[in-house]
Amino acid sequence: MTVIKNRAVRTVLRYAIPFGAIPALVILGATVFDEKRYLIISFGVALAAIVLFMAGIEKKNIGSRRMVLVAVMTALAVIGRFIPLFKPITAICVMAAIYLGAESGFLCGALSVLISNIYFGQGPWTPFQMLGFGMIGLIAGYLCEPLKKSRALLIGYGVLAGIAYSMIMDVWTVLWYNGTFSPDLYLAAIISALPFTALYAVSNAGFLILLKKPIGDKLERIKQKYGV
Amino acid sequence: MREFHEYNPITVAAYYLCATAVTMFTMNPVVIGISLFASVINYILYAKNGIKPHLFSLVLFVIMAAVNPLINHNGMTVLFYLNDRPITAEAAIYGVTAAGMTVAALYWLRLFTKAMTSDKLLYLFGRLSPKISLILSMAIRYTELLRIRWRKISDAQKALGLYDDGNLIDALKGRARVLSILITWALENGIITAESMDARGYGTGRRTSFRLFRFRMRDGLITAICAAATAIAVIGLNGADVVWYPSIKTTLFEPVSIMGYVGFGVLSILPIIINTKEAIRWRYLSCAN
Repeated sequence: MTVIKNRAVRTVLRYAIPFGAIPALVILGATVFDEKRYLIISFGVALAAIVLFMAGIEKKNIGSRRMVLVAVMTALAVIGRFIPLFKPITAICVMAAIYLGAESGFLCGALSVLISNIYFGQGPWTPFQMLGFGMIGLIAGYLCEPLKKSRALLIGYGVLAGIAYSMIMDVWTVLWYNGTFSPDLYLAAIISALPFTALYAVSNAGFLILLKKPIGDKLERIKQKYGV
Repeated sequence: MREFHEYNPITVAAYYLCATAVTMFTMNPVVIGISLFASVINYILYAKNGIKPHLFSLVLFVIMAAVNPLINHNGMTVLFYLNDRPITAEAAIYGVTAAGMTVAALYWLRLFTKAMTSDKLLYLFGRLSPKISLILSMAIRYTELLRIRWRKISDAQKALGLYDDGNLIDALKGRARVLSILITWALENGIITAESMDARGYGTGRRTSFRLFRFRMRDGLITAICAAATAIAVIGLNGADVVWYPSIKTTLFEPVSIMGYVGFGVLSILPIIINTKEAIRWRYLSCAN
């Protein structure tokens, strides 16, 4: 069934993407297109990064229990995206990352965006959103020990993730609209997105505190009980 | 009768990605005009969603077209002054083109979303990575399952008299309790699912797909046409440039670029051609009986 069923091909892809495709994209973007189309480059790089990461996970032995738990967390995040205004998606990804590991956080973020965009509309923003939420999860996974211990750090991470996510998506808005980066447009985008940025930051921090007990403690318990 | 959306998911996805990519990565007014026209016609014909998306697109178009001249004051032809800032024709035309590009890309992507249902996405991802595709398919399933369970739990809570919608605090507390139960249920149940998967030998053999999509000759043919049209469009449009500021200078109507427009035109009406051909054949065959 699968095109990439061959192990050798998969291995080749794993090295070809970081060392071949990404530099080639950057060089191509810088030389072939006269007006440097940063959009194409950033789009290609985002897509390549996701594919690369997924190829890495494919190789790892995550175990069926962890896979099912990641699927459950992803589904919760997708449902959370239907709540008007306050979106717990970041909080749920961070929870998955802290308690199930960094890769699980990445998968939870990236896949919940992919699935919820079936309902909200796929677009050129999908790879960027996937990468954005994936990275929020991944970094939270690397910081799992301090984030587990300190409530203040958890709030700080939520606020920071909200602001960073919004600002990165604004860069993308400007690139899409303008082709190249323009500071004026970027400022306009940031200012017009300010209410959303505030909303992201507040809902991230709020949901992280609210969901720590129902989700975090339960994941911890499940992990102990079944040895995930 | 095989509609365009019934072709192999690889073909359909490749088609929409090509159309979207050419639209998104050119700032060529002619291409954007063709693209906008074709995508709207396609959308009206094959994604019958009522008037609402069109209204949204119109509002988006107007806002985006207006933003550029208000922020960007480059250009020689001054139309008028607003708060002592010049509003130029060049910036206005650029704004309209950029807005057209955005709206056209949006229409193509809406068509993509409409065509690529979750089973087709799974088919595509399953080729990339069986593990990711399994997590994806389980997550899609759980999304629906958790919604059903949410309703079950809250019904049960209501029957117990623990759920008072009249009082805001009580209602919120009730929701929090439902959420807590839902999460416990889902996680414990997930472990059972995993055990059951292991017991049935998950990971010992190759995974099969729920829906079978065969890659037939015509899928290959359409993919090839799509690739050829895209290649012609890209090659043809490489020379067609617009210098926007300080005054608009174009090389839009060289012979090579006209070839590019034809290539893109064929690409953008491909679904219409296929569906019309199939519809004619259908009618002809049903008349013949």
